[in-house]
Amino acid sequence: MNPAETGPGPLSRVTGGLRSLFDAHDGAADRVRGRNESAWLLPNGQGRTNHRLREDMHRYSPDDVVDAVIVGCGAGGATAAQRLARAGWSVVAIDAGPFWDPDQDWVSDEAGSHHLYWTEPRVIDGENPVPLGSNNSGRGVGGSMVHYAGYAPRFHPSDFHTHSVDGVGADWPIDYDDLRPFYEAIEGELPVAGQDWPWGDPHRYPHRAHPVGGNGEVFQRGALAQGIDFRVGPVAITNGRFGNRPHCIYRGFCLQGCKVNAKASPLITHVPDALAHGAEIRADAMVVGIDVDERTGRATGVRYLRGGREYRQRAGHVLLAGYSIETPRLLLNSASKRFPEGLCNDFDLVGRYLMVQGAPQTAGRFTQEIRMYKAPPPEVSSEQFYETDPTKPYKRGFSIQTVSPLPITWAEHVAGQGHWGEDLRRYMRDYVHWSVLGALCEFLPQARNRVTLAEEKDRYGLPVAHFSYSQCENDKHLLKAAQQVMEGILTAAGASETITFTRNAHLVGGARMATDEHSGVVGADCRTFAVPNLLIVDGSVLPTQGSANPALTIMANSARAAERLVHTAASR
Amino acid sequence: MVSDGPALAGTTPGGQPVRFPGFDVLAQVDHWDPVTAGVVLARLSLPSPLRFFTVAEEGIAGALLDHLLDQYEDPRVPVLQMIDVRLTEKQTDGWHYADLPEDGQAWRDSLRAIDDDARSRFDASFTECTGEQQKTLIQAVQDTEGKPWHGMRADRIWSLWTRYACTAFYAHPWAWNEIGFSGPAYPRGYKNPGIDAREPYEVRDHLPIDPTRETS
Ligand SMILES: Cc1cc2nc3c(=O)[nH]c(=O)nc-3n(C[C@H](O)[C@H](O)[C@H](O)COP(=O)(O)OP(=O)(O)OC[C@H]3O[C@@H](n4cnc5c(N)ncnc54)[C@H](O)[C@@H]3O)c2cc1C
Ligand code: SF4
Repeated sequence: MNPAETGPGPLSRVTGGLRSLFDAHDGAADRVRGRNESAWLLPNGQGRTNHRLREDMHRYSPDDVVDAVIVGCGAGGATAAQRLARAGWSVVAIDAGPFWDPDQDWVSDEAGSHHLYWTEPRVIDGENPVPLGSNNSGRGVGGSMVHYAGYAPRFHPSDFHTHSVDGVGADWPIDYDDLRPFYEAIEGELPVAGQDWPWGDPHRYPHRAHPVGGNGEVFQRGALAQGIDFRVGPVAITNGRFGNRPHCIYRGFCLQGCKVNAKASPLITHVPDALAHGAEIRADAMVVGIDVDERTGRATGVRYLRGGREYRQRAGHVLLAGYSIETPRLLLNSASKRFPEGLCNDFDLVGRYLMVQGAPQTAGRFTQEIRMYKAPPPEVSSEQFYETDPTKPYKRGFSIQTVSPLPITWAEHVAGQGHWGEDLRRYMRDYVHWSVLGALCEFLPQARNRVTLAEEKDRYGLPVAHFSYSQCENDKHLLKAAQQVMEGILTAAGASETITFTRNAHLVGGARMATDEHSGVVGADCRTFAVPNLLIVDGSVLPTQGSANPALTIMANSARAAERLVHTAASR
Repeated sequence: MVSDGPALAGTTPGGQPVRFPGFDVLAQVDHWDPVTAGVVLARLSLPSPLRFFTVAEEGIAGALLDHLLDQYEDPRVPVLQMIDVRLTEKQTDGWHYADLPEDGQAWRDSLRAIDDDARSRFDASFTECTGEQQKTLIQAVQDTEGKPWHGMRADRIWSLWTRYACTAFYAHPWAWNEIGFSGPAYPRGYKNPGIDAREPYEVRDHLPIDPTRETS
């Protein structure tokens, strides 16, 4: 099947058919509502926040021993909060950042969105240090998904066995099939829009693919000419109304937080339902330590700072979901007599096997005006190069996606080519003529790529994370191969010139899942090996990363861990 | 330029010959949400006096930024002041390289370093050097690439300078006018994405010079 024949055309050529396309899938929305009412709990009018729901939120006292306290309200943490609250658990989910109100707190502006990022001090090191901040992690309820692009692909079945099949990476203690039902569930709840997906485990999406803008058109045209298969999507952006969430208005500021409530983040997809089921979201509270009873070996709760005071929240279970850097850091900062090297770190595994995806971006210059800023950056992608190709000198692969940087990010790209002064300004004046594609390369997990504690302390008086990263040979091969494919696509689409800027994206790992405590920090159900009632439910637990963007997998895995937790607790 | 708009309508940095004549992103301000409008319009107000840079650093950083951004004529985007505010408020990205101090100190150290270069090479302070001499010194830092420069890796300092410079300059609506970018788009959104498609208020590129086909 030729995707160009079935794929939607540019927005300008789409007529009034969107509503009827959406209605065909409305049944799915009804089923979602039965298990997660978040989208229906949002306001229906102009505002984006249900203030009443927040005011009425249950508030636990620190003396209450809640069933679960969760550290971090991002992809992993908020999903678990919603699942546990639905199951009748008493839940407090703590986040270091604000409880956002998109109307008041977010702007349609690049530089003005700086406060969405985690900008506490961190030290970066290694042969290929990875810049953090805007490029990597978020702070506040919704986590990094507040400013993520919105791509929501699944991992492939092969990702769970790269060690036994390809001799690289690691095998997961679970299979793709273990996650599949959770992928389907979360895809419905976000919801994800895209064409029928042919790669990995072929599947369909609840919402139809969005029409594409200039950058998507370029990708489609070039890929077609090169015989490269591509699809529109998969993006966690509503295509049509979903509950009280409106249709995307194609304004291109997805990485600055969606003021429309069209792009999914847990702030609107899971937190409202969690609140409605009695969960408390405790924002602006920085967790500084996990308490473990030396006698029983069980976690008893967490310590956090809020408004300059230290508090404790006691809990039957502690779930960590602070992102791949803060989760290992919190474990290392929670050393005790029993765990002198850091909590759960008996085997020196906490903080190790941290991964980033190599994310080179190749830009092409076109005679026509592309104006790539006029659509969501995530539009079209290809997973044709995802799997190991036996004819190549490297293992595993990469995916290709549209990225569409706004001016400041584009300027960094141009300056990264060495242009400055008059040269830089001349390139920048040409912004509307450029199209940009990005690759995600499956960098391999390595023990030396890790978080440790630095000498330097933050304003809470805690040692900051020291994050060291070095690429291996396979990683470097992938970067080159991906660049060649992107140059090919853009040139075939008519680009007169291409330029490539190498960067990284998407941190995962650092407290990986494994079959035993000698190879990982948590088991198949995300329970730590060392402390039975301490779980990790964010991206830290991923043993490999594929070349798919990770948020959907993080949410699906967290939903699975929460379900397992509820079942085991009930059967005891 | 537009004649019937408010003063400075369609302003571009340096008032350069424009590729998007008459395009004025600020003419759309009534269509922006108030929070965004507040943040963007604040960039047009009188910059606050410098608090981070010392007088000596001000002279060096000012000249350095003028060269990095090719800004020699008024109206100028007040990048020096914008960077000063960021560094005063420690509004950094948080991370720093293990072999460099945090951004504020790295700025101070690198400004002193380029001033030292000026003295040893041209026997004058950086601010006393001619524009051409200053450019030579700047180019030399870029050419040092990953090698050490006054105890710092030159490429990391280069990236620090250009990151701060670009973030300030391309946050300014005058720079958007220059590059034809329509800026904030909420709550209106875009109706006409696609190749060679424009919104009614967007202006066609009247001088489509391919930068890759032209050498300076
Ligand atoms: C620019 C950008 C684009 C991206 N695009 C995509 C994309 O298109 N698709 C995709 O799948 N992924 C994307 N990602 C990545 C994705 O957003 C993350 O992988 C994902 O959100 C990580 O989930 P998490 O649960 O591990 O952590 P997060 O979602 O980051 O949540 C962690 C939360 O924990 C809080 N926290 C941390 N430490 C503490 C503490 N000590 N006490 C209290 N709270 C704490 C933080 O404030 C934060 O809210 C993108 C990321 C960025 C930065
Ligand atoms: S383009 Fe769509 S999804 Fe992205 S921020 Fe705008 S409205 Fe939200």
